[in-house]
Amino acid sequence: MELGAVVVVPAREDGTTAIHQVEPRALTASENPQPHYSLRMPILGNDVLRSWMERVRKLGVQSLWLTSSPRDENVASSALARFAQQGIERLLVIKLKSYAELDLADLLRFHCESRNPVTEAQDARGQLGVSLLDHLALRASGEKYEFSCAPTGTGRTPYQFRGYAKRILSARERQELVGDGLTGACAMRPLGKEIREQVWIGEGVQLASSVRVIGPTYIGARTIVRAGATIGPFASVERDCVVDCGATVERSTVLPHTYLAPGILIRRGLVDGGKFEDLDGGTVADLQPARLGSRIQQRESRRQAFEETATDVSSWAGSASTWDFAASSMTSQPWLQVRL
Amino acid sequence: MKTVPSKILPFPCASNFTDRRALRKDLLVALRVSGPPVIVDFSACRTLNYEDIDLLLECVAQAAGRDSKVLFVAGSRVNRVLLEVTRISSLVPVFNSVKEALAYPQIAAQDDVEDLRAS
Repeated sequence: MELGAVVVVPAREDGTTAIHQVEPRALTASENPQPHYSLRMPILGNDVLRSWMERVRKLGVQSLWLTSSPRDENVASSALARFAQQGIERLLVIKLKSYAELDLADLLRFHCESRNPVTEAQDARGQLGVSLLDHLALRASGEKYEFSCAPTGTGRTPYQFRGYAKRILSARERQELVGDGLTGACAMRPLGKEIREQVWIGEGVQLASSVRVIGPTYIGARTIVRAGATIGPFASVERDCVVDCGATVERSTVLPHTYLAPGILIRRGLVDGGKFEDLDGGTVADLQPARLGSRIQQRESRRQAFEETATDVSSWAGSASTWDFAASSMTSQPWLQVRL
Repeated sequence: MKTVPSKILPFPCASNFTDRRALRKDLLVALRVSGPPVIVDFSACRTLNYEDIDLLLECVAQAAGRDSKVLFVAGSRVNRVLLEVTRISSLVPVFNSVKEALAYPQIAAQDDVEDLRAS
């Protein structure tokens, strides 16, 4: 029985795909609240896409397909039918909207035992965006694809997941995931060296001697924190940021390549370049006109370092290839095959 | 009857040098009159740029050490967020509307005193 896997990465509104993208740029997704940041942005230095790929690899799957969908993260029905034509008996579809410590082998076992054409994983809050389709569902999808939208209870038994899961489309839940990662409440660990209890820093971080770092906190690789700044508690400043003199980052996340102006106070927020999202009210404010924050233009050396460590899927195992669907009706959706 | 109404100064959105100078002048005149707080209303501004932030900080600085208090009417959540990240909201009371600002305890208490005096 051949098992295939697809990961659907939300694309930007302008239709350009996120799966070839190297530089971090703001993507949008259709869920509410709409994140202004890319879902590919690291969380405590970790790439959620990569963590899903690793789970798929552990299932024994040799390669997976990545696709990008602009609006509802659905896979075109014709593409699913094509999988069936290529001899795929079961297809695992992961929409990149959550981080879940899901045992995919258990999901597969459940799917086989329940003999549903489609099995969706869900937790107490609803669907996690992980589904298994068997060949019947794949063939039927050639006519009509409905599994992502249909309510559960239409003859399908969902897979109930009781483990750790967070929706990364919501900035607030993303921050909860950061907090859980910093305190060890989930399996995700900050990518860096623990210099003291619950304080992690990545490679090449520059901290001025007067900087206060209050744990639990993470400071990503090559980030510069200038004199008098305070980072933490429950803060995550991702890689290649500059936190200027006297700035405070508390219970917040600062995404890569962000500059924060002197004296700025970031509390309960998510900053991505010049955009600040208030975690409590969901308000998004533009910091750039007030010269309070901005996106750092990558220097060539930094760009190189970034590209080397980038989680861009084309660098995954260095063996990605595109799937030529030129003759099919689904050319609007880009595809990339990644060997695991 | 309220004899000394609070002074409400509209903030010059997308302003030029002259508008800013005018606000500074009006603010100083209002602050010279000891008593009622001065309300700076920028609820009509969609967002704030660095010049606006500078001018607001100047308002805060002018009011420091005086008997009169300055109150800000931010209007939108975005403006409020910008005041929070610049720490201005920790220096000056910020309100969503002029109505809310007028209900600020200090103003309400002062108005009561004036009413009592008038009666």
